[in-house]
Amino acid sequence: MSEQIDITVTVNGEARSASVEARRTLADVLRDEFGLTGTHLGCEHGVCGACTVLVDGAPARSCLMLGVQADGADVTTVEGLATDHGMSTLQEAMWERHGFQCGFCTPGFLMQATALLQENPHPTEFEVREALSGNICRCTGYQSIVDGVLQAARSTTDHPQEADQVSASQVEL
Amino acid sequence: MTIQAGARFVGASVKRSEDPRILTGRGNYIDDIVLPRMVHAAFVRSPLAHARITEIDAATAREAPGVLAVITGEEMAALVTPGGYGIAGLFGVDKPDYCALANDKVRHVGDPVAVVVAQTRALAEDACELVEVDYDDLPAVVTIDQALDPASSPIFEDLGSNVILPPSTKVFGDVEAAFARADRIVRARISQHRYQNVPMECRGIVASYDPTSQDFLIWSANQGVQPARQGLAARLGVPVEKVRVRAGDIGGSFGLKTGSSREDVAVAVAAKVLRRPVKWCEDRFEHMCSAGQARDERYDIEAAVMDDGEILGLRADMVVDSGSYPGMGAMVSGLAMEMLPNAYKIGALSFTASAVVTNKATYVAYRGPWASETFVRERLIDLVALELGKDPLEIRRRNVVGQDDHDAVMVTGRTLAGVTNRESIERAAQLIDVPAFRRRQARAREQHRYLGLGFASFIEPAPGPRRTPDEPLGVMGPEPMRMALADDGHLLVYTGQMPHGQSHQTTLAQVAADEFGVAFDQVEVVVGDTDVVPSSLTGGSLSATMAGGAAVVSARALRAKVIAVAELLLEASAEDLEIVDGAIAVRGISSSALPLAELVASARAPGRLPDDVDTTFEASETYDGGAGGWSGGTHAAIVEVDLTTGLVSFERYVVVEDCGDIINPAVVDGQIRGGVAQGIGAVLLERSAYDEDGQFLSATFMDYLLPTALSIPFIEIEHLPATRTDEIVNFRGVGEGGLIVSTPTVCNAIEDALAPFGARIYEEYCPPSRLLELAGVIPTA
Ligand code: FES
Ligand code: FES
Repeated sequence: MSEQIDITVTVNGEARSASVEARRTLADVLRDEFGLTGTHLGCEHGVCGACTVLVDGAPARSCLMLGVQADGADVTTVEGLATDHGMSTLQEAMWERHGFQCGFCTPGFLMQATALLQENPHPTEFEVREALSGNICRCTGYQSIVDGVLQAARSTTDHPQEADQVSASQVEL
Repeated sequence: MTIQAGARFVGASVKRSEDPRILTGRGNYIDDIVLPRMVHAAFVRSPLAHARITEIDAATAREAPGVLAVITGEEMAALVTPGGYGIAGLFGVDKPDYCALANDKVRHVGDPVAVVVAQTRALAEDACELVEVDYDDLPAVVTIDQALDPASSPIFEDLGSNVILPPSTKVFGDVEAAFARADRIVRARISQHRYQNVPMECRGIVASYDPTSQDFLIWSANQGVQPARQGLAARLGVPVEKVRVRAGDIGGSFGLKTGSSREDVAVAVAAKVLRRPVKWCEDRFEHMCSAGQARDERYDIEAAVMDDGEILGLRADMVVDSGSYPGMGAMVSGLAMEMLPNAYKIGALSFTASAVVTNKATYVAYRGPWASETFVRERLIDLVALELGKDPLEIRRRNVVGQDDHDAVMVTGRTLAGVTNRESIERAAQLIDVPAFRRRQARAREQHRYLGLGFASFIEPAPGPRRTPDEPLGVMGPEPMRMALADDGHLLVYTGQMPHGQSHQTTLAQVAADEFGVAFDQVEVVVGDTDVVPSSLTGGSLSATMAGGAAVVSARALRAKVIAVAELLLEASAEDLEIVDGAIAVRGISSSALPLAELVASARAPGRLPDDVDTTFEASETYDGGAGGWSGGTHAAIVEVDLTTGLVSFERYVVVEDCGDIINPAVVDGQIRGGVAQGIGAVLLERSAYDEDGQFLSATFMDYLLPTALSIPFIEIEHLPATRTDEIVNFRGVGEGGLIVSTPTVCNAIEDALAPFGARIYEEYCPPSRLLELAGVIPTA
């Protein structure tokens, strides 16, 4: 067995520590050490995007990043999107638009789209498709997911106070 | 679109009850299951396509850190009962002989030869590397032609040859007369390449065994928990009562996760040997080379046609490459034969079918396993049009069946009454505005831009009408359902359907809520536990009709029971009572309303009702499919082929379809769009590739390309007003059609775009290199 290394990561606003094998990925650490099974693994070679989380606010493939590389980082997973007050604008919009079917790709799309909307609150349809083109969904044909992101962008404009859904103060549902 | 008086939920795009858990990361997928003392399995897999195993040395692996057990094929053979696995096991196919793990020879790259169980998956994988397997190479049989050669190395010695299904011919109508009368005969060899389901979640199982009770508890990502249980019990050699199978959320399947796989059985055996829970979650490499692949079929087909475009008859000779182990491959030709004439007035058919085995992954069901018939027929119609110098639309119009053709019967036997294919073709043509497109296409060609228009039309048996008056229409017979009124007034619906994206927990709740008289959120649809759900499986696009129908009849039966009790409690007659919004009331007197929870409590209060009154508030009913009926429609695509890159872009993709009464429009549209996306992927991107030695070349998502949000266009969908074929239940399935008909639609559009180059498409796979060959930009390889 390879060496164990102690790491501390802020996950969804909460400081979490673990002693992990150097070869374990961030996805392994989130799922196995922290019990956050919302992050899914669809390929483990960086193509499908199901494992996408936000690391210091930017989308990252948690299957390609080692757990030890996340030491000291601020990580947001799909479990961190909803607040005590309910689902995020994006999650609500996805529910409304029947964004997903089997739900396996869902965490990756939600994290990728969350990052997109933070950077570009009013994307065009093409910008949405482009931003999501590194995530694979086998069920939906993408249209419902794109519709969900566009609807979230519209609702955020209608309710500007809800705009910034991801913050360090969020707690798990 | 409401289907009965008072319907509130059926016909509306009700938000899914699955979504709150799925959207917040609280789903319960197979890899999320963690049991106390659980350990992890990994498989040693063959690097060769065809070889004899001469020796396995697992001594070093057994001593490796964290390793608890290594079970080789030979050891496994002593621990399982012989017979079939997966869908073959489900249908009782027990020849040829093989085992959960390869024990004499390996038959494809990825064939499992040993299972290693260790404290973690990583340690199990480390130890797999230490298992030394000696192989004696055998010649690989990779193509249909090689397999048909009697001199090819037999993959199963007990079969004698590589032809697993010898050719047999069936004739419908007067084929000789049709071909004698024809003005001309159009011939083609048309094939579908090999591609695969690729659900985003790979296969997986968590097996545990209680040595005291000798019971297995199995968590399995599976399209039906009861069939999985039967398959496991049969191979484990125990009565079904000793196996409980549960399933949580499932990350897609599309036909693949049916029955119990060889790996499932091996993991359950390991759990018994170790007396500890064992988890196996397949990785993507294993999935691509071993979980199963689909299609890989070839037709030699001839059409007897008149110069006006009438198709008098067909002769087809189909060969299926069923891969290595028995699966869907040898079973699929019967349905393909039955469906080939489809919604066309084709009066004669001669159909020869055979299947071969090759050193490739096993053929599994993939969304419309019989789809080759629609690909071949719709391709052939366009080739006939080219031959006759007519527009393909004209050929379809000349032969298609529409709503007025009340007496139309498919030459293979089933009635076509009620199909709306003429109507969907006309509507799709109207939406496209064909004359305007043809003008635009001509102008574009002058500027060396290549636009093309393709149509394809189909029906799918979802479930289809009955062949005989007493034939049940379900995959596994009539569909059972159990409903119970809980103490708190909730309606509990127990179904054998096992949703993996189809949204049954929403759609069945919609039907049950309307029929029983409660609000949608008062219904809970319970799935995935052999202890409580009846026997069925999700497949064949049948759940809308079969489970939807079972929900209608079960809700009615339970409602009658509730009303019978209410008659006594409220001293009113049944005709005057109604259940509305979770309360029972005397019609028109809202003050009389008694919430169902109170009804249950009063009915069960000691002494309140005579002892012989049934106060269980449960009903179990089965539904036989009623009159059944087809779903179907027409797709049309406008594409542009870029002759610099060979890439195809979509200007429009139009779907006009008829699936009867719609339970949830957003769910239906999602099924259609998802299927179309898979079809576009199949034609332009996806291929399960092998080299001439049977080496597998597409084991990662860098080699097996899947469509993304940029490759799939906006898909326009229009629903035709449904023809009602049954008195009560007119929901019909849409699970498979999107994939079935989209591949010929896309190929027809591409061929039209490349018409100036005389292109003819005979092969479904059209990657950029192939299109550049067809256009003469690069030489044909
Ligand atoms: S699991 Fe990380 S990209 Fe697929
Ligand atoms: S919803 Fe199934 S993979 Fe996207």
